[in-house]
Amino acid sequence: MKLLFRIGIVQMALAAATPAFCQVLQIQPQTITFPSSDPDTVPVVAAAPVQVSFVRGSGRGGSGSWSITVRADGDLTAGPAQIPIASITWVAAPSPPFRDGTLSSTVAQTLASGLGSEPNTRGSVTFRLANSWNYSAGTYTQTIVFTLTSP
Amino acid sequence: MPASLRIGWTVAALLALPLPAAAQSRTATISVVIAATARLSVSPAGISFPDSDPTGVPLVAALPGPVGITVKARAAHGATLRLTLRATDDLRSGVTTIPAGTLTWTAAGDGFASGTLTVADQTIGTWVGSGVRTGTQSFLFQNSWSHPVGTYTLSMQYTLSSP
Repeated sequence: MKLLFRIGIVQMALAAATPAFCQVLQIQPQTITFPSSDPDTVPVVAAAPVQVSFVRGSGRGGSGSWSITVRADGDLTAGPAQIPIASITWVAAPSPPFRDGTLSSTVAQTLASGLGSEPNTRGSVTFRLANSWNYSAGTYTQTIVFTLTSP
Repeated sequence: MPASLRIGWTVAALLALPLPAAAQSRTATISVVIAATARLSVSPAGISFPDSDPTGVPLVAALPGPVGITVKARAAHGATLRLTLRATDDLRSGVTTIPAGTLTWTAAGDGFASGTLTVADQTIGTWVGSGVRTGTQSFLFQNSWSHPVGTYTLSMQYTLSSP
């Protein structure tokens, strides 16, 4: 009985010595602006690149898979006028772990994914708007949410 | 088994399980600026009516053919766009004139309207909201034995506006 007791204590001590992994996600800038452009000469409008950086520690549980997703809260709106959020796509580098995609308000789209720890990973994401004469004049806004998760 | 030992095993087992990570979320705001703007194109820039026998050809069709019009506009949501046409003067050959109203047109294309040329604005198209609209105008000149001999010209002005 004493032997079992000691083993239990040792395992408990080992587990407690391994810290739970941590993860930090940063987005910069937090405002993505598309200037007005002539659809004939600028059919695709690019915003200034967004820097996505994240740290995912190597602690206990940090060896699993992870992903960064992005989801819009809805279409772009300016009063009663709307532009479908799917009009915005992005190109991201480096690939992997980043990947290109299209914004959606219904399904979170994967921006990056991987396995294990990421000591200090940075990516550049350039959002692009499909320009059109069909858009009503106005200033449209919408919020997008970046989420770093580990299953 | 002592109670303290059972607690020890339980704690050890819990710590050995992989921990679900708390999701990290960050938000960003997208801002898209769409300025009101318009582009109007008319082609060709000039048309002509060949001399014709008024008896055989009472209505002379313009050469080289229909005038193509493309209206591209970004307007406020629900705003009305209006395209007008007016002659800057009657047909003039020196001091001799033929009324601009001898020129008529037949329009084709959604939102385009047929009409008669005058020195006042005539609406040739109306639409609601932003978009690209294309149409044509087929001009006709009302021929007559009464028209004095000469080469007549006038200028036409197209104006696209939105209140």
